[in-house]
Amino acid sequence: MSAPLFVGIDVGSSATKCVVLNDTRALVGHHVVTSGFDYVEAAETALQHSLLQAEGVKKDVAYCVSTGYGRERVAWADGHVTEITCHARGAKEWYPEVRGIIDIGGQDTKVIRLSEEGRMVDYRMNAKCAAGTGTFLESTAHKLGLSLGELDGLAMESKAHAVVNSYCTVFAGTEVIERIKEGQRLDDIAMGLFRSIASRVAEMLAVRDGALAATGGVAAHCGALIRALEEVLETQVWLPPMPQHAGAYGAALLAAETNVAERSSARHVADR
Amino acid sequence: MSTAAGKRVKIKAQKRLGELMREHFVDLDAAAGDPSRKVAWCTSVGPCEILTAMGFEVYFPENHGALLGARRVSHELIPRAVGIGYGAESCSYMTSDIGSTLAGVSPLQEAFGIAGPPTPEVLVYNTNQCREVQDWWGFYGRRDGAPVMGICPPTHVGEVTAEHVSFVRGELERLVGSIEERFGTKLDLDRLREVVALSSQASALWRRVLDTARAHPAAMTFFDGVIHMAPVILMRGSHKAIEYYEALLAELNERVTEGVGAVPDERFRIYWEGMPIWPKVRELAEKFYDLRTVVAASTYCNSWAFEEFDGGDPLEWMARTSTEIFINRDEETKQKFLVEMLDGFGIDGAIFHNARTCPNNTNSRFGMAQRIREESKLPVLVIDGDLSDLRFFSTAQTMTNIEAFVEQLAEYRR
Ligand code: SF4
Repeated sequence: MSAPLFVGIDVGSSATKCVVLNDTRALVGHHVVTSGFDYVEAAETALQHSLLQAEGVKKDVAYCVSTGYGRERVAWADGHVTEITCHARGAKEWYPEVRGIIDIGGQDTKVIRLSEEGRMVDYRMNAKCAAGTGTFLESTAHKLGLSLGELDGLAMESKAHAVVNSYCTVFAGTEVIERIKEGQRLDDIAMGLFRSIASRVAEMLAVRDGALAATGGVAAHCGALIRALEEVLETQVWLPPMPQHAGAYGAALLAAETNVAERSSARHVADR
Repeated sequence: MSTAAGKRVKIKAQKRLGELMREHFVDLDAAAGDPSRKVAWCTSVGPCEILTAMGFEVYFPENHGALLGARRVSHELIPRAVGIGYGAESCSYMTSDIGSTLAGVSPLQEAFGIAGPPTPEVLVYNTNQCREVQDWWGFYGRRDGAPVMGICPPTHVGEVTAEHVSFVRGELERLVGSIEERFGTKLDLDRLREVVALSSQASALWRRVLDTARAHPAAMTFFDGVIHMAPVILMRGSHKAIEYYEALLAELNERVTEGVGAVPDERFRIYWEGMPIWPKVRELAEKFYDLRTVVAASTYCNSWAFEEFDGGDPLEWMARTSTEIFINRDEETKQKFLVEMLDGFGIDGAIFHNARTCPNNTNSRFGMAQRIREESKLPVLVIDGDLSDLRFFSTAQTMTNIEAFVEQLAEYRR
């Protein structure tokens, strides 16, 4: 029998991420696919690719934890845990001294605070709207005829920044047009958009002590976001090796930490 | 652990509650069609005892608002009220109720086979809860040509002093005078004393019902509370409410003796601060069952647990109790109350509901959640939502928030 594998699968609203750990908790496989409309298929595809990389097969999986927006859709997962706990767990593994985690996902932004002992003491999620999320950036970029990558590239060129105040995606679009009319540079406007996200994060960060790390797909792909966060929060923001996979990594770690007796029964790993 | 643990048990009294509600609304409907009877509308923590003592049948529109929310029709009706100038972010009880009137639909029609809310002859308010009620009543006052009367006590009160009570008592006397003048009747103080005694008795029983959730496991949940509180609002001042709560209390006390919990295999105990999310009450109750977590206590259900009446001046009792209610108090008093509740009910964490259209019954807007976290050293979560308007609510986001909160409680316990 091959050595057991532990799987974390993060079914997000935009992307589905998978991480496979071996019995020494070394990361041996990972993959990301677009979630699309079929979460079940996306999860299966991400798992198969990750297992291929890990040189394993499904029956080698000793325990699997699903997380993310579509966590309950993964019928073959042994348990599910929220992305909040998983991002915290993943980030803490990379940076044991981290105290604040900023996860900017497709449809929500979360700020998680850990105690000195690494215990989750507080977390906040954005209110119901796209403000301060990946969707906000993507749709505003789209209005400008740009991809998210191009928006990021532009913002990185910026020497100053335009101010975009609005929390609302629609109004932010109008503001962008106003800034263009005022003759502001496009790169500065792009940076203004990233800073508006950073301002939302600043509001959600109740206590500003200790090291901060950013996780999630937007952090992974947009250097401008890290720059904006660092400027607005006036502190360094760490970017882990696989920011987009932080949730899946945390889920895989939780899977590996679940003891054997619980592996057969638990649906919520947090039931322990 | 008792043999009954692990099994979900229904509250038997619920059947009687259904009958009581039907009798209540059918009778109200009959009163509205009977020229010898008079219907008054009143706010839920308003001076209803005066109205009952003066021979009015009392209807509580906030209950209608809650019903519209629970039936998940508010979001279809609110636009009608917004269309005639009521703010989309104003009290969604008010906007959905006005919307339902404009649309000519009411859940009372289907539930009890009656025409709908009874037409008022007078509308009475107490702004101890909010100013919105005054303007809400104003809509119907204009529509029906009925007088709108009420009292405006001091708000955001710290310690309730003799001056406060005497001022509010004066307001109540003035209100009585206006009703007497308008309807040509006299208030009989002995009758008022009788009604107040009944009201206070129902309220005291209600408090004891809520207190059964102090037991471990809790005999009832907040989600049971929001259903079973109907008589203490709609029928207070009547023998019916007392009889109902005596039966309910006996049933719940039996649960306590036998160690039967409302949530099987209870793991965690949560406090709910703020309004219920009526359209999602059932879904949320299920979520907490799944998480083996009991919402053991709430500010909301406690709003009708008044101090007992000592048989003295009924107007003074009304003045005191209506001024003392939680919603009418300052931040410090509220914080003290909340910390005591967390302690008394053995709470593991508190959830604050930020009801977007009711700032009055929302206590997370001035740093209270953070202060409670610091003082009680317990995890505190703030969720966004609304009492009725689902446009302010995201199911996926809220459920994730709640699940993560329970994960956090588990982590605290480790
Ligand atoms: S307290 Fe809130 S929900 Fe109740 S009537 Fe006033 S504004 Fe509406």
